[in-house]
Amino acid sequence: MNKRLKQKIAFAVFRILGLMVVGILFWILGFILYNGIGVVNWEFLITAPKEGMTAGGILPAIVGTLCLIAGSVIFAFPIGVMSAIYMNEYAGNGWIVRFIRIMTNNLGSIPSIVFGLFGMALFVNTLKFGDSILAGSCTLGLLVLPLIIRTTEEALKAIPDSFRTGSLALGASKLQTIRRVILPIAFPNIITGLILSIGRVSGETAPILFTVAAYFLPKLPNSIFDQVMALPYHLYVIATSGTDIEASRPIAYGTALVLIAIVLLMNLLATILRRYFGRKVKIN
Amino acid sequence: MKHTEKELQELKEEINQMWKLVLSQLEKAKQSFLSSDIELAMEIASREKRVDAFELKIDSDCENYIALYSPVAIDLRLVLSLIKISSTLERIGDFAEGIARHVIDDDCNKISSQVIEELQLENIFDSLISMLSDSFVALESENTKVVGKILAKDDEIDTLYHNSLDILTNYMQSEPSFIRCGLKLMLLIRKLERIGDHCSNIVEEIVFYVDAKVLKHGIKK
Amino acid sequence: MIQAKDINFYYGDFHALKSIDMEIETNTVTAFIGPSGCGKSTFLRLFNRMNELIDNTRLTGECLIDGQNIYHKSVQVDELRKKVGMVFQKPNPFPKSIFENVAYGLRVNDIRDKSYITQRVEESLKAAALWDEVKDKLKKSAFELSGGQQQRLCIARALAISPSVLLMDEPASALDPISTSKIEELIHSLKKDYTIVIVTHNMQQAARVSDKTGFFMLGELIEYDDTKKIFLKPEKEQTQNYITGRFG
Repeated sequence: MNKRLKQKIAFAVFRILGLMVVGILFWILGFILYNGIGVVNWEFLITAPKEGMTAGGILPAIVGTLCLIAGSVIFAFPIGVMSAIYMNEYAGNGWIVRFIRIMTNNLGSIPSIVFGLFGMALFVNTLKFGDSILAGSCTLGLLVLPLIIRTTEEALKAIPDSFRTGSLALGASKLQTIRRVILPIAFPNIITGLILSIGRVSGETAPILFTVAAYFLPKLPNSIFDQVMALPYHLYVIATSGTDIEASRPIAYGTALVLIAIVLLMNLLATILRRYFGRKVKIN
Repeated sequence: MKHTEKELQELKEEINQMWKLVLSQLEKAKQSFLSSDIELAMEIASREKRVDAFELKIDSDCENYIALYSPVAIDLRLVLSLIKISSTLERIGDFAEGIARHVIDDDCNKISSQVIEELQLENIFDSLISMLSDSFVALESENTKVVGKILAKDDEIDTLYHNSLDILTNYMQSEPSFIRCGLKLMLLIRKLERIGDHCSNIVEEIVFYVDAKVLKHGIKK
Repeated sequence: MIQAKDINFYYGDFHALKSIDMEIETNTVTAFIGPSGCGKSTFLRLFNRMNELIDNTRLTGECLIDGQNIYHKSVQVDELRKKVGMVFQKPNPFPKSIFENVAYGLRVNDIRDKSYITQRVEESLKAAALWDEVKDKLKKSAFELSGGQQQRLCIARALAISPSVLLMDEPASALDPISTSKIEELIHSLKKDYTIVIVTHNMQQAARVSDKTGFFMLGELIEYDDTKKIFLKPEKEQTQNYITGRFG
């Protein structure tokens, strides 16, 4: 077999496999869309579940998920970014930093249910937050912290040292250099970390199981110490242990559709932000 | 203008000054010879040192220019020809001094004007002076149109030089007491003829610089 | 005036500079030449303490600028770097506007007077021979400039904080010949106001722009003299071998 033919076959295989991945993705999306679109309407989005979750909407779960996204980002983003800055810009390459780095990577590979247990032990019981948005956000925050740290570190590492030396050579301090030069350049890539963590947070079920999620709570939260419903958990409940699984199946698809839509919307927003900041600081 | 060009400009300025000095040495040599002006001849002899100093200065400046700026093409040709021109000008200066020494010796200054006229010495002097000043203009204006004219003058001088041998032989045969002065005169004319050759060399260098052509030894490219 | 007295510098165990003595006079251009890894850049970076950014280094000896030992405890490194500007091998403008790039050094040094900043930006860009090319697009990103313009912007940026010494680490090695010759002209015109020290791989460049040249090899200063002398009649055979390309 000559090399041109081999080449053609190889490309064909790669192309088919590549298309297959896209195909599966579209298939899933199409499946959810096809089954869920029927129940999703304005009513569905702005009312609470009724009649043992076989009717009504999913507003509390939407609000709950949004609260958890916001809470966990507020908790994890500053800590993550700051510790990444410390590790990459200040700490040099001593054993402490290497240790922290190994630990964060380990943290990232812990199963999420363990985070749930840990969150319950620390936030719910020891710190006495109770089952609450606060406890759930903190737990989810811990979960995505490694992700944010790692993406931020990568973003910082990708910046050539010439920017740092250039700024320091002009008599700027390290902090000024980070604030005025390094962060603006790294920002678009840090946002990418944020996008990934939002996706992660909005889809996780296990960590919120013991820390915040309510089985059925058809009202909106008043404070961060309230329990809330959340989309993934709600989906799990009505798909597996609801009062009438068959009757609530369309609602389950509708919920899945809304969850996907929220994640996609968040991604879109973050992508726009990334573009916007990226254009301002384009490195040639 | 770039600073390398400025350096080159300064180099040219130096050669201009040297040129003017040598030209005035030659003019004064003519004057002192024709009028047997010993004082003027002394002045020429004393100014010869300045010509030498110019040569040294230009040589070292050209060396530095090449070492520092690695000139190429027209710049390189200019620097190379300036080195040669400066040493040629120095030789012409030496001959001018030689003429002055001849005047200062004061033992043959009473040669009859008839001999001098017959040898056309004034003519030769004038031709040399115009060769030197014309070639100066050629370098200044980077224009080689006058080259033919200058080289033709050298040929005229050569003819006069060859004639002078016969003329002086006649005089010496008819008057043995004239022999010493006759020989000295012959040497003097020989010097003038050499100045003419040197002027031709300068012109050839200018052609090399401006037109990138080699005229030497009848080579024409 | 810069004086280096018996400078020894180590990267870990590696002896990078070996007892170097040198005096650099005010308002001159001094070039450091030598094969890669000879220590010339390391030596240059001593003058604004850039080597301190590298871990595990050690310095002995004294380095004085205008009589002041710049490694003395009382010297603040940011104050020193205001006095000793630096231009790097690759143009490294910040991802900001042209104006903000030049103003950066002023801003980080707590200068807030807007009219003063505007004035310094203009003066610096003029000194760096860039003003005419950018005066109508000061608000545009610095990345829209060509490589040569970017490097002149970096020079303007360094000039804005009014240093007395300007260090240049192979400032033209990433540029095309025309931009290079513009930078060289610039160096020549800046020397009336600044003491310039330049590291270069390009010997012709050292010859063209500098008044004095130092030849480094294996961490030693082999020869330091007038550039004319180095390039016409160097005293050391090593210098001659290097500048004639017979090195090795």
